[in-house]
Amino acid sequence: MAGHWGIQFSFVALILFVKLVSAEHSFENTAIVRTVDLGGSLVHVTTTYAVKALEDDSSIYTIALGEDEAKKTSWMQAKVKGQTVPLQLEKFGLSPNTGAFLYAVEFPKALKANGTANLVVETVQTHATYPWPKTAAQNEGQSLKYEADLFILSPYPTLVQRTKIKSQFPKIHSYTTPEGVDAFTLESPVTKSGATLTYGPYNNIPAFTNKDFTKSQQKRIAVQYEYGNPILEITRLERAAEISHWGANLNIQDNVWLHNAGPELKGHFSRLEYQSQGYFRRVAPHTLSSLSLHLPAGIHDVYFYDLNGNVSTSHIRYAPSVPKGSSSNHFSLFEFRPRYPVMGGWNYSFTLGWDAPLADYAGWDKESGKYIVGIPLQTLYPGAVVDEAEVKIILPEGASDIKFYPPFPAIENTISNYITYLDTTGRPEITLQYQQLTDRHVGVIYVEYRVPFSAHLKKPLAVATALIALFALAFTWKRVDTRIQK
Amino acid sequence: MLLLPLLALFAFPLCLAATKDTREDLVRLAKAGNGIIKLDERTYDSLTASDREWSATIVFTALDTRRKCGPCKQFQPSFEAVAQAWNKVPATSRNEHFFAIADFDEAPKIFTKLGIQSAPVVHNYPVAEGPRKPAHGKPYPSTYDFSNGYAPEALAEHLSLYTPVRIPYRPPVDWAKYGTFAATGLILTTVARFIFPLLKSRITWAIITIGTILVMTGGHMFVRIRGMPYSDGPNWIAGGYQSQYGQETQVIALTYGILGGAFLMLTLVAPYQTSKSRQQLQVWLWSIVIFVMFSVLISLFRVKNRGYPFKLLL
Amino acid sequence: MATNSKAYSLPSNVSPETVANTSSLLRIVSLALISGAAIASRLFAVVNFESIIHEFDPWFNYRATRVLASKGFYAFWNWFDPTAWYPLGRVVGGTVYPGLMATSGVIYNILHALHLPVDIRNICVLLAPGFSALTAWSTYMFTKEMKDESAGLLAAAFIGIVPGYISRSVAGSYDNEAIAIFLLMFTFYCWIKALKTGSALFGTLAALFYFYMVAAWGGYAFITNMIPLHALALILMGRYSSRLYVAYSSWYAIGTLASMQVPFVGFQPVRTSEHMGALGVFGLLQIIAFAELVRSHVSSKQFQSLLYASVIGAGILGTAGIVGLTYKGWIAPWTGRFYSLWDTGYAKKYIPIIASVSEHQPTAWPSFFMDLHFLIFLFPAGVAMCFKQLRDEHVFVIIYAVVASYFAGVMVRLMLTLTPCVCVAAAVAFSSLLDTYIDPAEPNVPKEEAEATEADPGAADAPTTPKKAKKASAPPPTLGDFVGKFVVDEKKPHGIFGLNTRLAVILNALAMLVFFVLHCTWVTANAYSSPSVVLASSNPDGSQHIIDDFREAYYWLRQNTPQDAVVMSWWDYGYQIAGMADRPTLVDNNTWNNTHIATVGKAMSSSEEVAYPILRKHDVDYVLIIFGGLLGYSGDDINKFLWMVRIAQGVWPNEIQEPNYFTPRGEYRVDDQAPPAMKNSLMYKMSYYRFAELFGGQPAQDRVRGQQISKTSPTLDYLDEAFTSENWIVRIYQVRKEDLLGRDLKLANAFEAGRKRKKQKPPVRRRAIA
Repeated sequence: MAGHWGIQFSFVALILFVKLVSAEHSFENTAIVRTVDLGGSLVHVTTTYAVKALEDDSSIYTIALGEDEAKKTSWMQAKVKGQTVPLQLEKFGLSPNTGAFLYAVEFPKALKANGTANLVVETVQTHATYPWPKTAAQNEGQSLKYEADLFILSPYPTLVQRTKIKSQFPKIHSYTTPEGVDAFTLESPVTKSGATLTYGPYNNIPAFTNKDFTKSQQKRIAVQYEYGNPILEITRLERAAEISHWGANLNIQDNVWLHNAGPELKGHFSRLEYQSQGYFRRVAPHTLSSLSLHLPAGIHDVYFYDLNGNVSTSHIRYAPSVPKGSSSNHFSLFEFRPRYPVMGGWNYSFTLGWDAPLADYAGWDKESGKYIVGIPLQTLYPGAVVDEAEVKIILPEGASDIKFYPPFPAIENTISNYITYLDTTGRPEITLQYQQLTDRHVGVIYVEYRVPFSAHLKKPLAVATALIALFALAFTWKRVDTRIQK
Repeated sequence: MLLLPLLALFAFPLCLAATKDTREDLVRLAKAGNGIIKLDERTYDSLTASDREWSATIVFTALDTRRKCGPCKQFQPSFEAVAQAWNKVPATSRNEHFFAIADFDEAPKIFTKLGIQSAPVVHNYPVAEGPRKPAHGKPYPSTYDFSNGYAPEALAEHLSLYTPVRIPYRPPVDWAKYGTFAATGLILTTVARFIFPLLKSRITWAIITIGTILVMTGGHMFVRIRGMPYSDGPNWIAGGYQSQYGQETQVIALTYGILGGAFLMLTLVAPYQTSKSRQQLQVWLWSIVIFVMFSVLISLFRVKNRGYPFKLLL
Repeated sequence: MATNSKAYSLPSNVSPETVANTSSLLRIVSLALISGAAIASRLFAVVNFESIIHEFDPWFNYRATRVLASKGFYAFWNWFDPTAWYPLGRVVGGTVYPGLMATSGVIYNILHALHLPVDIRNICVLLAPGFSALTAWSTYMFTKEMKDESAGLLAAAFIGIVPGYISRSVAGSYDNEAIAIFLLMFTFYCWIKALKTGSALFGTLAALFYFYMVAAWGGYAFITNMIPLHALALILMGRYSSRLYVAYSSWYAIGTLASMQVPFVGFQPVRTSEHMGALGVFGLLQIIAFAELVRSHVSSKQFQSLLYASVIGAGILGTAGIVGLTYKGWIAPWTGRFYSLWDTGYAKKYIPIIASVSEHQPTAWPSFFMDLHFLIFLFPAGVAMCFKQLRDEHVFVIIYAVVASYFAGVMVRLMLTLTPCVCVAAAVAFSSLLDTYIDPAEPNVPKEEAEATEADPGAADAPTTPKKAKKASAPPPTLGDFVGKFVVDEKKPHGIFGLNTRLAVILNALAMLVFFVLHCTWVTANAYSSPSVVLASSNPDGSQHIIDDFREAYYWLRQNTPQDAVVMSWWDYGYQIAGMADRPTLVDNNTWNNTHIATVGKAMSSSEEVAYPILRKHDVDYVLIIFGGLLGYSGDDINKFLWMVRIAQGVWPNEIQEPNYFTPRGEYRVDDQAPPAMKNSLMYKMSYYRFAELFGGQPAQDRVRGQQISKTSPTLDYLDEAFTSENWIVRIYQVRKEDLLGRDLKLANAFEAGRKRKKQKPPVRRRAIA
């Protein structure tokens, strides 16, 4: 699931595939540089391909990812260096004979022979690291392990390639030194400077055509490094956005199942330890005691509770709402503190919601006579991966011809009926399912729909009739004589 | 107080007597005090010797009038009653357990030694040596808590846990009570025809009913159940929101009565007053009575409940 | 009195029906306002804190209601709860009064049918305030029968805001009493109505509401004995009538049959002494009715006398029969709880668990005044009024007054049953006062002043102080002769002269009402509106600071322990753990099994070695205790510890002895001088485990007991500290599994410690944190 692409693509895909298969060796990589910056549950990888065309108007370039690399990659984007618009990225999945996952990008304009281009491919890997050692006591540090392939696969021969692995925290405990790579390099296969490891440069990597390259030459490398923040994992996120035209209000409510994926707490939790650590500002890195979230500007009535009711430990700083379109990055700061410090392996589930003026999110299109509402896909929890997310958008009662444009294609989307306070027929409800959302999956789901004026009147009319009926009943009861004998 | 020379007499041998004859001396003392040993420092030491083969119940009290210890006086008779009851058991087991009393004015040193500030206190000394040694085998005494009141039944019930055999306490037959019962019954039967109209009159019933209500809402049952004293010397009003003395019940009931009565006066009596001036006088009077008594009531309540923010006149 | 002079003039050109309509409109409006006030004054807890269930028992009711709402009534009806009373479990359907849950379930379903998806929690929280409005209404109806509408409105206003009732019905205290008082008053209203009109319809209504009451609250026995008592009194007063017969028979027959449909009640109405009075009166009524019938047909004198003989004989036989059955054991004698109302020492001796509950203590006068304020002295006056015109319904109020005031004196919680009666009586007294002094008519005095005066000596020399004092000090006699007098000469002209007197009295009265309102508001806000689940303290800057340890710990249990982990705690917290942590508990607030509770008491009060096998036998995984020492929260387990010891001692008298937990001087200490039994007890160890370290060098201060805890923390060999809440109020310990190598855990620890000591790094120096 990657990049920007329409729905009805299969035909084009076919053509592309034909082209690809025909396009043997139409390129060579003069250089590939990959930068991995290590994180908690998210690892950002940037790969730059310096590409040289070998024949004229060759425009379809193929990118390959190793099997488990592809499995971990949950977001991917390709650009020509220096440009901002991302390129069309076409996924082909596992190509059986090579044992690699293939993607195709099409350059904006085809290259002549010996023409060059720089292709930058960004990916985000989720669950690419795991805590090592697996358990840590309350006063110990936390270190993670990251594993990857040594060589960057490409269907084209590569003159020189290099992999840089950066850690944001200075300490790198251990790393593998690859053996038997003398075929590709003469000096040491890996060099470490500070918190950066550099594998390579490796020269004259052949294009892999079949599995045996991956079998014979490919190596696994592993890095064990210090990590100073708790490793957050949102096992499930349920967002419900309810649009009310009567209240001119957009209510957004998140049900979050939070899990600390860091090393399991060894032994037991001691409040004494924790309090003394806090007293000396030495709280262990795998303890999640508080978190500051950026909620949208202009919201009000934020509520934060869990199954046992309101959680009184948190604070919010509101920011006034900003005029639409202005790209000012105002936000309301929410000081999130769970009831108890969430140690490694612990869970904390809660509900966080707020109201916002509908005007900040909705607009009315005159000529089409439709409302257009933009619902933010998710609120970012710093460094957290969302394993599965379900976004519900509840439109006002009587909304008709509904269209919606998610920023990323959902795994599954449905429109159902939802009945809430004083509804007569119920409201249309859009449900979108996602998996493995990362910090790059920010975006707005645009929904456009039409609400006839009559639909607006539905609710007041219903209530009025009910009340009138009640009065009529009381009236008759008072007036009619129910005695049997006078 | 002819006991004191006697004690002096025994004093010397007691000091270096083996437990055997100590026991005999104790028995003798008990007999002399007719079931209760009056303690001084020495007898106390010998009674609570670390190698004692007997158990003992000691009351620390202050019966002297100067001490003004109401509870002590209240408790004394029931303790004596229980001790008497113990006399009835056969000597073999009787001499296994002793009842003793230490009065503050006769043996102040004991009190200081044990650091006892309040009286009465009942200590039960278990057996320290021999077969009757308790399971937990701890020699130091346990205290009897007076939460069940000073009734002899409860005391005997509790002490029987420490005595070799049950204390054969039997509440004395209260002839006076039965007598009064019989007498009243007799009288009632004889004057039945006269009191029958009284029973029929609603006034009697009104008096009974309202009397009951006033007493109950005055907190009578609390005093009954908790066995609170009538008053604690000069201060008749118990500190604290959750307690009260017997006298409070009366005062409060009276206050309620006056206030209620004043209301009735205003409603039932004043209107039937045919002379204008007199009526006005009455009305004003009762209104003032209500106001004053009410503020008295509030001030009483403020004594009980410190945090109470409202007040009227005083 | 056509030629009457007026103290002040009223508009005379108003047609009577206008007056009637206006007054009825005003009644409706003021009832609405009263309901509003009643509901609003109960919302302090929600405003100050949040919409949350309070205290302990409500948590169970809430949990049961959730089951009912989610799974439906039948599922609830035969719901077996395996998590309570582990490992015994509890058949909930058969051991609760389902009225409360059923009520909220019905409301829940209706609202959802109307497309109002209200959260069940909010329904439960707001049920009590809602029903308090209904109570106000039913009190209005009841009092209307006693005097008139104006008295009714006063009574409604009183019961709406009187603390005695608010104490049990603030928002969030979701307990049976919440709806029971409404049912009580409405049943009584129906009964009175049935008695006055002799209509079987109202008798049946009374029966139905009686059934509802039986389904809702154990206190239904109060009705079961009040109504027969009333009937009996009427009979003895020679006021037997066919109306009484119809009303009572219809109520008793239908009501009893209906009440037997509640599984928890079952056959009690025919098998237990609490219900025998009703049965006896029923029989008596039948006999008398028969006698009346016969007498109406037969004339001969002798026959009548013979008949009377036989009637009385039959009555005696009946009672004898009941007594005989009781002795034979066919009829169960009084149950402990009821019995302890008569023999007040009973519970303390034989049922320590009941005695240990704070709300079963007797009531001192301050709490009467606190809960009823100036109603408490209007109450006797109102009863006197009832005596003045002694109609059948007044007899009811009088009996109610006497009985209820006795019960309220014996048990704090029964203040609740007294409150409505007090409100009614007080309203009667107050409104007749107002009637007298608002009425503009002035008496037209006949000429002979003198005769009038001497006809009224009591009032004549009322002013002279000594006499007045005497008279006032003893209201009953004065009341007596006045009642006596005015009952006879009602005709005598009466009324109030002048305006100043009127103003004096009325202003005085209004001032009292205002004071009453202030008092109620203050009491409600300060005394009765804190949900003991959340504690409030104030920051240095005066802002409110919430202490939320209970929910913190419970939520930790819920989120981070296996679903089937068994939690042991003292019984007070059983329902909360079940409700908030959703984990099985050993004992909870439904104290039906003394032995099980005593087992927990024993485990808590004996040493680790003794306790461990008990814990393992009941496969306890976690032990939860409440410890207030750091914060000064006095309601903690160390303060409740003696009850645990006592209750355990009741079952194992030679393993646990209360005296061992006192110092030789008989003091209760937790510091260095604490006796060994105390220091080795599991409860003590768990409470003070590593408590001293919190203070670093400084001496550790227990803020509840005000004593210094010894520096050396107790050691735990069989348990591990699993969680401690922010302010140390809740401490949770995990019970260790047996050692893998089959060693005794104590030895194993010693071994570990030995190994540790070899590779020991210098310990971290700590300074005080608190």
